[in-house]
Amino acid sequence: MRRHLSLFTTATRYDLIEHARNRFAMLLVVFFIPTWVGLVYLTIPDRAAPFRLASTGERLAPAGHELTQITGALNAVTLVTGFMMFASTFSGGRFDRRLAMAGYPRTHLVLAKAASLVLASALLAAYATAAMCIAWTPKQPYLLAAALFCAALTYGAIGVVLGSLLRREVEGMFALVMTSVIDIALQNPIVSAGADNPLTHLLPTYGSVQAATAAGFSTTSAPAYLALQLLWFAVAALLGLLAFHHRTRNALPRPNRHHRPTTAEPRDAAPLEAERAPASSLDPSPGPRN
Amino acid sequence: MHHTYRRRVVLRGVDFDLGSHVLAGIVGENGAGKTTLLKILAGELRADCGAVRHRGRFGYCPQEVVLNDALTVRQHLEFFQTAFALDDLRHAERVMEALQFSEYADVRAGVLSGGTRQKLNLTLALMHDPQVLLLDEPYQGFDWDTYQRFWELAAQLRDAGRSVLVVSHLAYDTERRDELWRLEAGTLRLETAAAA
Repeated sequence: MRRHLSLFTTATRYDLIEHARNRFAMLLVVFFIPTWVGLVYLTIPDRAAPFRLASTGERLAPAGHELTQITGALNAVTLVTGFMMFASTFSGGRFDRRLAMAGYPRTHLVLAKAASLVLASALLAAYATAAMCIAWTPKQPYLLAAALFCAALTYGAIGVVLGSLLRREVEGMFALVMTSVIDIALQNPIVSAGADNPLTHLLPTYGSVQAATAAGFSTTSAPAYLALQLLWFAVAALLGLLAFHHRTRNALPRPNRHHRPTTAEPRDAAPLEAERAPASSLDPSPGPRN
Repeated sequence: MHHTYRRRVVLRGVDFDLGSHVLAGIVGENGAGKTTLLKILAGELRADCGAVRHRGRFGYCPQEVVLNDALTVRQHLEFFQTAFALDDLRHAERVMEALQFSEYADVRAGVLSGGTRQKLNLTLALMHDPQVLLLDEPYQGFDWDTYQRFWELAAQLRDAGRSVLVVSHLAYDTERRDELWRLEAGTLRLETAAAA
């Protein structure tokens, strides 16, 4: 149990260090989110935007700048987590494989990445919700944060998938930006006259947009839509997991994987000790051996 | 062992045995299939046909430096210490001393020079004191002194009973190897072998 905990905490610690040293992502987190939601609030007219919200069945008429602030915040958090996870997956694929082939259990590496994503998504959702609450008061701020959190998780997992499949960094960035913009813009009734088109139900953040809008302007909860968003996350995470599993595979048959020290085999170890060069300045350590 | 990339046959019947107390080299021109062979030996690639059998744990130093630029040298060592389930980093520290880059322990890999990155790349392959070493162009970017120290290190490991395989494109300093193999037209040919 202690070994499992050590493997998990070590991998999580270094994963978080890597994210924290991604300065561009940190700049995006600190400045992009408040700038984006602030500019939306200041530039979009406050004219009422009447529409029927599918998640609650209510007819709502929120102020345009408040409604667009919600979709803007969704856009911002999905881009940040998508970018963070894409960058770490894209640049760290071979390093992960080296670790896995050195004996690091892939389960712990994956759990560490998941823990980093959950933590980053939670912080981003709380930060974006707080930034919006400066301008106005959503009816259900916790539900709003939960909707942002689930959307951020989903795009983080999509970032892992793109980081595993694409060959060039610019391709991943473009794919993430365009997916997030199209996904969210099509669901905003101010931007798109077809926001209630049934096709929008298939978009990756449909669940979060519905839940977040209900959180902003209604007192009715929308747990089914949060669950739908988590289903999107689960599917994207499964794809990411398969890609990670493929990229970190070891072609050697299991009994051959002696990359890390295992149980001692006296037949091999004894002559090794006996025949060691006495004057060697790099005297092999008496640590665990095969 | 046989391997083909689409229609291009890279390895056509390679049969190779690496004994203990041996410092062997494989040389060949660019594109001869040396890295492919080493990747198959290390488990990074599956051969179309054939099998690899290791006795004892092995260390693999890939041709391309595989590091995490965000982590320091020490953090790399600690990460791999957990992977290899090592009690301490004494052996890694000895390798660092032998390659003379201990003073960079707290420097991030992303800002290290090419030669120092390669030293760390090599250290990660050696830090668990493997019995079989598979090294793909391990001295790329080394200055002359470090190059000399690398061969001293390889000889010490060989003398301590390890099996060391060094792959390179140049058959330079051939006398440093006990066996020299040439990979040509997809097959291995023994060029020199040490006297028994």
